[in-house]
Amino acid sequence: MNALDYIVLAGTMLGIAGYGIWRTRGRRDLNAYLKGAGKTPWLVIGLSVMATQASAITFMSTPGQGYADGLGFVQFYFGVPLAMVIIAAFFLPIYRRLNVYTAYEFLGRRFDGKTRLLGAALFLLQRGLGAGITIYAPAIILSTVFGWRLDVTIVLSGLVVVIYTASGGSEAVSLTQKYQMAVIFAGMVTAFVVLLVKLPANLSLTDALTIAGGFHKMKAVDFSVDVHRRYTLWSGLLGGLFIQLSYSGTDQSQVQRYISGTSLRESRLGLMFNALCKIPMQFFILLLGVAVFVFYQFAPPPIVFDQAAWSRQVERNPVQLHALEADFAALHERKSLLIRQWLDARHAGDAQGEEHARAAAQDVQEKADALRDQALKAAGAHATGNDNDYVFITFILKYLPHGVIGLLIAAFFGAALSSKAAELNALGSTTTVDLYLHVVKRQATDAHSVAASRWFTVLWGLVAIAFALFANLSENLIQAVNILGSIFYGVMLGLFLAAFFLKWIGGTAIFWAALAAQTLVFVLYFSFNISYLWLTPIGCGACLLLSMAVQAAVQS
Amino acid sequence: MKSDERAHDSVPTDDATGLPGLRSWGAVYLAVLIVLVVWIGLLTALTRLYS
Repeated sequence: MNALDYIVLAGTMLGIAGYGIWRTRGRRDLNAYLKGAGKTPWLVIGLSVMATQASAITFMSTPGQGYADGLGFVQFYFGVPLAMVIIAAFFLPIYRRLNVYTAYEFLGRRFDGKTRLLGAALFLLQRGLGAGITIYAPAIILSTVFGWRLDVTIVLSGLVVVIYTASGGSEAVSLTQKYQMAVIFAGMVTAFVVLLVKLPANLSLTDALTIAGGFHKMKAVDFSVDVHRRYTLWSGLLGGLFIQLSYSGTDQSQVQRYISGTSLRESRLGLMFNALCKIPMQFFILLLGVAVFVFYQFAPPPIVFDQAAWSRQVERNPVQLHALEADFAALHERKSLLIRQWLDARHAGDAQGEEHARAAAQDVQEKADALRDQALKAAGAHATGNDNDYVFITFILKYLPHGVIGLLIAAFFGAALSSKAAELNALGSTTTVDLYLHVVKRQATDAHSVAASRWFTVLWGLVAIAFALFANLSENLIQAVNILGSIFYGVMLGLFLAAFFLKWIGGTAIFWAALAAQTLVFVLYFSFNISYLWLTPIGCGACLLLSMAVQAAVQS
Repeated sequence: MKSDERAHDSVPTDDATGLPGLRSWGAVYLAVLIVLVVWIGLLTALTRLYS
């Protein structure tokens, strides 16, 4: 990065955060602080919901997913439109009619105080850990790539978001997310255009897709019914529906965004905007990763994308690792040649020659992958699990022009700040409304409640920063967040579905059923090798079935 | 703070979508689901074409 990049980065980030603080200065009314006084239009709601869901991890890690595994991850989002329709039709009218500040306040009205506390506790536990990951994830990558100190990056980026979230509340979060999304979209589209321009001049779009398909990157939909496969049409539709329904319908960081609409219509339209845009947006980001893969078939890729980790190992063992790099580079040369032969045969209509060159290129790719695995092991355990997270940022820094690099890094920070802000805002709100005002101080003035909410936001910000400082993840980051959510979301959804649709279930039955179902999910996750997408429907189903059984036992 | 004391100004008064051609919310939801089916169809075609 040069001075121009730093000016673009600092100007964009400080401008957006400063705007949020300035527009919402002096908020003393709890309704305005927690719900933006119910004045948010549908487009801001839609962008705000998307910005909350799309953290920096989405924009750093998802292209890496596309690079390594192709388009299959898009199936995870097939449940989004279904979930949005159900929330808009059933959840939202009830939240608005009861005029609640948090989703768990609704549980208290429907069941009892202990169920409300259980719902709030599950949310605080899951989202508190998640907030740590959303601070840690971009910080680890940016600090590694730029050589910044990790602890300083975590603390500084964490404090910026704590300050403007605590000062401006929900309204500041929604207002700033609108501009952060604009920066993110501008950055990603610019990266895609530059990428296309940098592909070889004689390579058509069809050629690029053919190459990607030849290396199994274009399998967007998998009809397999194997439950061990993470992403299939069925796990996406069913598992994705459950996880999205619980995330968007019961997670306060989402609920807080859309209950702030001017009217039911505005809130519903905001959700429908998200329902329509989510799949194309994720597809586009994955396609960006696939395009980076095609680009690296002609330009030499590094053997390990986490270059800082690799350089440290090369210093210790230069002879063996330089030899590994040389072998990898030779394989790349050979593969590029075979790909050109493959395309030439294809253009000439020589089916046999095309098949022969393609099979040879795939064979070389397998050998290159084996060398890369060897190099990742040599680079240390930390790099082994998440090297794909470094693919996109490595490409950006090496091949994009200055100014655009600053814009892309601003997009990553914008995404980090927008999701963190919504999470901290929701954690502060839930702690204030469902714990502090519900248990400790029932008769508080609005000014006192707003002050309490600000302090709880700061407290959760500090907890998230502390968690991020001690975090060490082996999973790909985007999956780590989704796995964490799937462990808790099923039971949470079960609580809400029972509240909405099973009118005869009482508070005691659902409380004990939820505790038992959560224990079951923990046991399943730690004991059996099943796709994490199935944990949410299992947790939800167990919670509902057990609540019916307990209720029947109580009544008899 | 008591929940009952809060203003109920956000309670919806009408079910109009305000969208041309999609007058009821049922029609809006159906349109969203049709778009989902179209997306899955297009992605399946892309998979078949290039895999």
